Amino acid sequence: MRAYLVRRLWQSAVTLVGVSILVFVILRVIPGDPAKMLLPEGAPQAAVEALNRHLGLREPLWIQYGLFLRSVVQGDFGQSFQYRSPALRVVIERVPATVQLTLTAMALTVLAGVPLGVLAAVRQRTGWDYASTVLAVLGQSLPNFWLGIMLALLFGVTLRWLPTSGFGGWPSLVLPSITLAAFPTALVARLTRSSLIEILGQEYIRTGRAKGLGEPRVVLRHALRNAMIPLLTVLGLQIGTLLGGAVITESIFAWPGMGKLVVDAIFFRDFPVVQTILILSATIFVVINLLVDVLYTVLDPRIRYG
Amino acid sequence: MGAPRLSRRQFVLGSATALAAATARPRAARAQTRRGQIIAGLSERMLTLDPANHYSISSTSVLRHVYDPLLDVTNDDKFVPALAESWKPINNTTWRFVLRRGVRFHDGTPFTADSVVFTLKRVRDNTKLIKSFVYQDIEDVRKDDDVTVTVTTKRPFGSLPAHLTMLGMLPATAGGNEDAFFTKPVGTGPFRFTSWTHGDHVELEANPGYWRASVPKVDKLTFRFIPELSTRAAALRAGEIHVIDRVWPDMVSTLKATSGIKVHDVPAVEAQRWHFQLARDAGKDPRVRKAVSLAIDRNTIIKELLLGYARPVVSPVPPGLIGHTNLGQKPYDPDRARAILKQAGHQNLTLDFVLMKDLYPKQLEIAQAVAAMLGDVGIKVNIRNLEIATAREQRTAGNYDLFFSGWAHMPHDPDWYFGQWFTKAGAEKMTRFNDPRVEQLIAEGRVPDPKVRQQKYEEIQKILWEDEPEIWPYYSVAIYAVSDKLRNFEARRDYYVLLHEVGIA
Repeated sequence: MRAYLVRRLWQSAVTLVGVSILVFVILRVIPGDPAKMLLPEGAPQAAVEALNRHLGLREPLWIQYGLFLRSVVQGDFGQSFQYRSPALRVVIERVPATVQLTLTAMALTVLAGVPLGVLAAVRQRTGWDYASTVLAVLGQSLPNFWLGIMLALLFGVTLRWLPTSGFGGWPSLVLPSITLAAFPTALVARLTRSSLIEILGQEYIRTGRAKGLGEPRVVLRHALRNAMIPLLTVLGLQIGTLLGGAVITESIFAWPGMGKLVVDAIFFRDFPVVQTILILSATIFVVINLLVDVLYTVLDPRIRYG
Repeated sequence: MGAPRLSRRQFVLGSATALAAATARPRAARAQTRRGQIIAGLSERMLTLDPANHYSISSTSVLRHVYDPLLDVTNDDKFVPALAESWKPINNTTWRFVLRRGVRFHDGTPFTADSVVFTLKRVRDNTKLIKSFVYQDIEDVRKDDDVTVTVTTKRPFGSLPAHLTMLGMLPATAGGNEDAFFTKPVGTGPFRFTSWTHGDHVELEANPGYWRASVPKVDKLTFRFIPELSTRAAALRAGEIHVIDRVWPDMVSTLKATSGIKVHDVPAVEAQRWHFQLARDAGKDPRVRKAVSLAIDRNTIIKELLLGYARPVVSPVPPGLIGHTNLGQKPYDPDRARAILKQAGHQNLTLDFVLMKDLYPKQLEIAQAVAAMLGDVGIKVNIRNLEIATAREQRTAGNYDLFFSGWAHMPHDPDWYFGQWFTKAGAEKMTRFNDPRVEQLIAEGRVPDPKVRQQKYEEIQKILWEDEPEIWPYYSVAIYAVSDKLRNFEARRDYYVLLHEVGIA
């Protein structure tokens, strides 16, 4: 296990350096001039040139990357072009909103998706199953932006129960997290159902029932635990994706998360902010993947890493 | 029956009522001047607290409440005193400003000539600041005494007062540690900065010592940043906020149908201007430009696509600004357009029409309508709807024939527009415009004398109107929606949300 962890950590470091090079180069080869995006349309060419020099964008690419890497190691991700302050600070200010939304949406996903899936599996081909299927199809097929706007119109504008948008307090968290959770909940429900059905057909389940275990114990303790493996993979990937930002949901609910920040930063060619977010989310992704792999061994003692 | 007894509850209630009555008078008196809170929903997120380091409309809407400029500009384009009580040109390259006395920054330090000297020298010398390029013509800023400042310029700078409406004055002490200063900035404005939750909102509180009597009208001002129009509108309709900016024409009817909401619109200081690439074959030929102009039915665009929320253009400079003149509307005459093209021998002409994605209301629909109109006279149009940075890059490289764009005269003065788009140096990497006559007139129009400026600008526009290096399809209209609880709201021509004198019921 230890050798495995060391190997995985080493691989992770290589992955991150690769990501940083890729992000750095891609940003600089796509068309678009950061100084032009910062200055108004009516800025003279000399001002554009001067600003690009100030931003360090007139150095050769490899020198720019070298300088960048050196400062990143010191914890400095450069100055945001757009916000005129340290990129890391700009990004970190968005972390609380991103984390809140991600965790709430994930909690909803697990709390709604798993029971729905279990219900559908144990009551196969009954009304429960069909209802759960319909919900899952809706959750996966309703576009985020439509669902979000409808929820805001119904619960915000018409009923006035919840704020239509903004960040602050749990009421403002409800609609965005439901919107964000709709898709993964459906996914988790379907996945739980199918893997549980498969497992419930296994012989050891029959053995369990034969030795007189109650149905809840059979399903929840023996079947569900084994059904969790594919689920964990999916949840891990979803958390990684969501922590990188949920662009559409954030836009609809004016949620100050990282998704909208990175999209705006790309539009405005705010290289330091894009680099910071992508490198941070790549790090999160790598770490979560590692954690998920380790968790497998906890859930399934048959899995061993050497 | 004995005398009625006073229960403990009645006693407490009675005392509270008496106390309230005793304190009611001063509270009522205060309430007349200042009361309540206004929450505004802005279309862009604020970028910085430094008034010299952005040209963002949302940032200005917020910061204009914290910092005062030397001069202000009214909605009918009059330049009026703010921190400067008066100003006048001494000669073509010298301006003198007499400052208001007795004004204090939010931290109590007095506003003096030192603040002006610091602010102006800072924006000129620190070329990293976004507004720096505008002030490069300043030669020197001199303090004559505590309330008099003389600014000398390298060449005539007639639009200096107009630009100064966009520059908030800072205390000279800000220079010590700018980073620290701009985390908790102080200005002389009607509101003090309280907090900024990045990406979400800014909170301001009334400055009780503001130099203008009975301003502001509310205790607290909050700006929320809600980039999506539908979200902004929903928040207004739900009663969460009181005013939104940048409403698009097709949203107006929904908002008007909501009780408690009023829609305000005003002709903006912006003219749409679709510029030709004048070094490419198509744009180079004045006959092609003329034909394109004749083939576009501007009134249909205004009426059908913008639902009347635009005005026909009669000169490149919008009404109200210095230089505006009436040159008559451009005619719509597809037959003549066809004849001109035939005469010029242009068959199978194709134009690349480049758009900056999602920047202007209804722009794609408008471009499609224009493509159909031009198709009608035999010109094929390739619409290239590009992401903004890419579109601008394409323009610099000259890879376009016609470029969809607008120009908002934010300082309420056209000098910037002319200097940028119709001088060789300005247009070099843009439209490739080059006309020594126009260049000469622009230089002559930079003097402070408004009569001379008006005359020069009229001459420039006559040349441009004939030459048509751009298509001016319409003047834009600024649309806002507000709660009917707001008192005294004024829809600004420059797209700012300014709430100095706005109260709430």
